[in-house]
Amino acid sequence: MTAELRYVGKSVSRDDAVDKVTGAARYTHDLALPGMLHAAVLTSPHASAKIVKIDSSAAAEKPGVRAILTGDGLCYRLGLYMQDKCILARDVVRYQGEPVVAVAADTLDTAREACRLVEVEYEPLDPILDPRDALEENSPLVHPDLHTYEHMKGVFFPRAHSNVAHHQKVRKGDFDDAFASAAVKLKAEFYNPPVQHVPMETHAAIAQVLPGDRAEIWTSSQSPYTVRHLMSVAFGLPHASLRVHVPYVGGGFGGKAGLHLEPLAYVLSKATDGRPVKIVATREEEFNTLPSRQGLHSAVEIGADKNGGIVALKATYIWDAGAYADYGVNIGRAAAYAGAGPYVVPNCWIDSFVVYTNKIFGTAYRGFGHLEVLWGIERAIDRMARKLDMNPVEFRRMNLLREGEITITGEPFTSGHGSPVECLDAVAKAVEWGTPSEPPSEPYRVRGKGIAMLHKAPAMPTYTSCAAVIKLDEDGAADVLVSGVDYGQGTYTVLKQIAAEELKIPIDKVHVTWECDTAFSPYDWQTVASRFAYMGGNAVIEAAADCLQQIRDVAAQAFDVTPTEIVCEDSAAFVTGAPDRRIPYPQLALGYTFENGNSIGGPIIGHGRYIATGLTHLDPQTGQGLPAQYWTYGAHAVEVEVDTQTGEIEILNIVTAIDAGKVLNPKLCIGQVVGGVVQGLGSALWEGFRFDKNGRFLNPAFVDYKIPTAKDIPRRTEQILIENPQPDGPYGARGIAEHPMISVPSAIGNALFDALGVEFNTLPLDYERILLRIREKSEGA
Amino acid sequence: MHEISLTVNGHHERATVPASMTLLELVRERLHLTGTKEGCGIGECGACTVLLDGLPVTACLVLAVEADGCDIRTIEGEAHSGKLSVLQLAFIDAGAVQCGFCTPGMIMSARALLERTPDPSDDEIVEAIAGNLCRCTGYEAILAAIRLAAERLQGRESYEADRVLVEGDEASLAKEGGGR
Amino acid sequence: MLGGFDCVRPRSVDEACRFLSGTSGARVLAGGTDLLVEIRNRLRSPELLVDIKPIEELAQLQLDGPQLVVGASVPLNRLAEYRAVRQSLPALADSALSIGTYQLRNRATLIGNVCNASPAADSAPILLVCGAELSVASTDGWRKVPISALFTGVKRTCLAPGEIVTAIRIPVPEEATRTAFLKQQRIRGHDLAVVNVAGSYAPASKTLMVSVGSCAPTPVLLEPVDTDGNSLDSLTSHVVELAEAATSPISDVRASAEYRRAVLPVLLRRLLDQLLEGGVGS
Repeated sequence: MTAELRYVGKSVSRDDAVDKVTGAARYTHDLALPGMLHAAVLTSPHASAKIVKIDSSAAAEKPGVRAILTGDGLCYRLGLYMQDKCILARDVVRYQGEPVVAVAADTLDTAREACRLVEVEYEPLDPILDPRDALEENSPLVHPDLHTYEHMKGVFFPRAHSNVAHHQKVRKGDFDDAFASAAVKLKAEFYNPPVQHVPMETHAAIAQVLPGDRAEIWTSSQSPYTVRHLMSVAFGLPHASLRVHVPYVGGGFGGKAGLHLEPLAYVLSKATDGRPVKIVATREEEFNTLPSRQGLHSAVEIGADKNGGIVALKATYIWDAGAYADYGVNIGRAAAYAGAGPYVVPNCWIDSFVVYTNKIFGTAYRGFGHLEVLWGIERAIDRMARKLDMNPVEFRRMNLLREGEITITGEPFTSGHGSPVECLDAVAKAVEWGTPSEPPSEPYRVRGKGIAMLHKAPAMPTYTSCAAVIKLDEDGAADVLVSGVDYGQGTYTVLKQIAAEELKIPIDKVHVTWECDTAFSPYDWQTVASRFAYMGGNAVIEAAADCLQQIRDVAAQAFDVTPTEIVCEDSAAFVTGAPDRRIPYPQLALGYTFENGNSIGGPIIGHGRYIATGLTHLDPQTGQGLPAQYWTYGAHAVEVEVDTQTGEIEILNIVTAIDAGKVLNPKLCIGQVVGGVVQGLGSALWEGFRFDKNGRFLNPAFVDYKIPTAKDIPRRTEQILIENPQPDGPYGARGIAEHPMISVPSAIGNALFDALGVEFNTLPLDYERILLRIREKSEGA
Repeated sequence: MHEISLTVNGHHERATVPASMTLLELVRERLHLTGTKEGCGIGECGACTVLLDGLPVTACLVLAVEADGCDIRTIEGEAHSGKLSVLQLAFIDAGAVQCGFCTPGMIMSARALLERTPDPSDDEIVEAIAGNLCRCTGYEAILAAIRLAAERLQGRESYEADRVLVEGDEASLAKEGGGR
Repeated sequence: MLGGFDCVRPRSVDEACRFLSGTSGARVLAGGTDLLVEIRNRLRSPELLVDIKPIEELAQLQLDGPQLVVGASVPLNRLAEYRAVRQSLPALADSALSIGTYQLRNRATLIGNVCNASPAADSAPILLVCGAELSVASTDGWRKVPISALFTGVKRTCLAPGEIVTAIRIPVPEEATRTAFLKQQRIRGHDLAVVNVAGSYAPASKTLMVSVGSCAPTPVLLEPVDTDGNSLDSLTSHVVELAEAATSPISDVRASAEYRRAVLPVLLRRLLDQLLEGGVGS
């Protein structure tokens, strides 16, 4: 691609921004249908209990109540990878906050009041709250019937009669031997608490059952086709009988990737003879009922030779899946194959256990396990560097994957992967690694610097695919149809740029149709995993090529030449070398008519698709295989300042380098990076679910669950976007959406050691934890 | 039930409301102005920010009856005659919009800021939107957008970017005055 | 809808008092930022809200001789932006500005913050230090309540049902007196206090007044400290000792008792640094 690009690589503004700045953008929260009912749920106050009795008679008498449902009548099991979840709790409740009763009524107030009138009798049981306890031989079981659940065979391996939803292994070389004879050894343990995505728009869905066993669904979702598919499987309906619409979505971050409120809205609509039913999560329900990011306990062991070469790495990841493990199992899988970090590890042993507990269940969250894993790995790497008396940057540089090396799953690293070393060097330089910080303004404040690497590949099935359709309008403009969802990341704008570039038409003549509708928009797997720009981009390129081919065919007939003699440029098709023999696209878009009236061709509709290629399943015993369509590497370097008397930490500077392959839109790309860094800051410094000893969630609201505000952002941030092309990416691009979040906590943890000489192994690094550890250290001294 | 009358985006509105209806419910459900969003219901996130007699407030914690006789402005009143305001345009140009759910509240907070302090300092901009939570952008682009709008309104545009203009952008920029 | 209440909008204090005493389930609505949240979260279910904002006299904000008079419906932003407050009682402005968000402070009132009587109320420490006095009205007449008598427990005051605070009168310190307010939060964005402190130092009388919040069931006013002849270090130790004796920090979802105990002396030291900046006795 040596010619100058007109649109790709430019900071084109988003079209959808106009709808958003005027308030015209309608989200599922804003939709209303004639005759629509409103739903509310009653949730469990207990983390683990038998449901003894439900008496809804008082609620049923309330005027305006149209349906009351309990789990009894809903014997469907749902899940994409592991079908372990019911629509409403059946027989038992497995987490405090689990929906037990649902009411549909004329108004939301009526539905909520009705819920309060339902009496539920529980027999509380002892909850299992720590996944490490749940792994014990005689632990009570969260899912005694685990062995009967449908799941994706060959990929996930639930252990019958246990709390293990999945166990992923990596076995490479001989860890025991290599570690035993390693010159320097390190062992450390780490913990990440569960956190929530906190999309500004909470989960919402509307469902309307139609005659003939059909249904229409509107949902704030990242994956219309997954919603359709899972509903089809769960309710035994043909896919075509379910139509899913996704309007504007107010943030997802993975939390809206699967099936959430849609089945409940659907069964309520069924129970009300086809009234549309809308269910919107309150913010408390978003925290306490809808899924989280799994907590993680990790234990890491690293062995190195005296020159600093890593010879062995062992990691045990115990994922706190919560009550249901649908996405959790895939995160556990990804954590294993990515679980040694971006390093050359000749002898590697990883166990990743996804374990049920009686807490809110986890789901996909930006980073898909990699933030949690790299919290441990990158902290351990830093500690090992110090043990070796090596500069942490040098230790990393020495051990990073490079061309010619093999990953822990046996995947060869090529130049097409991009360059982790370049990312490391870029951030080290930008933060003046090795130069001490400027002294702070007060004697009780200290500063420090830290670095961490990041890596991730899309964690997706081997058959993940995507399609795009481009149709031309009467005026030669192009409509692009996809069903990946743009929930803020800006991919539709990027696809617009690509379509304009490929079709050779002005960018303001390209429109990406905003709302996804499974009746019209072609298939896309899910908008997760940082794969939409990559796969959608490739699909759009192919669709554009298809359009151009159709255009050439018609123009060739019109001019009585062969299609290879037709050039498409500037919204027209003309004969090579004879530019005055040209037909502008508007005259071809719906077919071409000769002077005498005879018409040829027809509406120009191009289609393109892209399917993951070359991926293999991972060997269940060794984890060997090819899980990654592509890897994206990066690094953060951070400078922090700590008030050693109060524990307050401020980020002075955070530099992020990512090897993006090709920056398709600098403004959008930087927006993703800054946004991801600040979201990572939340995980690093403030966020974490708190539970009491009975498993009750203690901070399900913004009062006590803090996310960064405009006052909390780093004093300075810097983004370095490196472009070593991804050979099979659109224009050389690879995905970067999740990556900016991933190693923010690790870099800060490392910087805190530099500043304070204190090891932090548990997140969040809030002021209290920092101060109390400082005092612990000084008291111990 | 209470009879109330108020001005919303310059239009005279009347409604009969129960005492316990919030201004947010009134705006969204009675007046069908769904640009103002509910993010938390307890005044913590700012997604429901509207201007009440010129002051930014979280509509979820204002009763409709408290707004009787008041002047309310929502995001739908920000553009004029189909043309985006300088503030709205600055949000677009600065890349300050991602999922867009926090955007109406942000713009209302920023609008109120620029009306009371046309040439705000960086600290004043931060304070004005610190009560508006955003999960997507990391705030930098939003702060830049408000700065950009202030610069343009003061006639001192100082922002460089690759841009592809949507037709009509130049016209509305010129119309607001202060732009180039 | 938030609940099942009705709302009245009286035009006079008398009318408001009649409404409040007429219905047992009646509550004052000023800013509503605490009350409406409590109603939404079903912690309170009043039958009637008495909106006092239409009552003109309750909007007063003025210097009345040596006293700052703040009416019950004065929102925090308006208070903090009042020139006289910024000039002569900056700690009051700082306290007000530390509460919630800019939007919240256009509704939430000073007196609402006081009457909500959270142990962590940010306005309480400086008001205790200054010796503010509340004017209280009811159908039985008027009375004055010194703020030192107001707080009786966690979210409890000595006010009787049917009583409404109409104004707070705050003695404005002499020109040379310094005031300061410090608040420890969990984040720089809006937050409740983990620990908050306020103080004043009057060089003329060499008297130091300090109040501590969030460390006991109510905000606490320490006994006055005579600074005469003492070094900053020894004063700090003394104040810390007084504070530790007068408070009993607990562990809650916001912070542990250990953290509060660790931060309190730090805030007190910094408070004294600010107040005695020019040196003790100078």
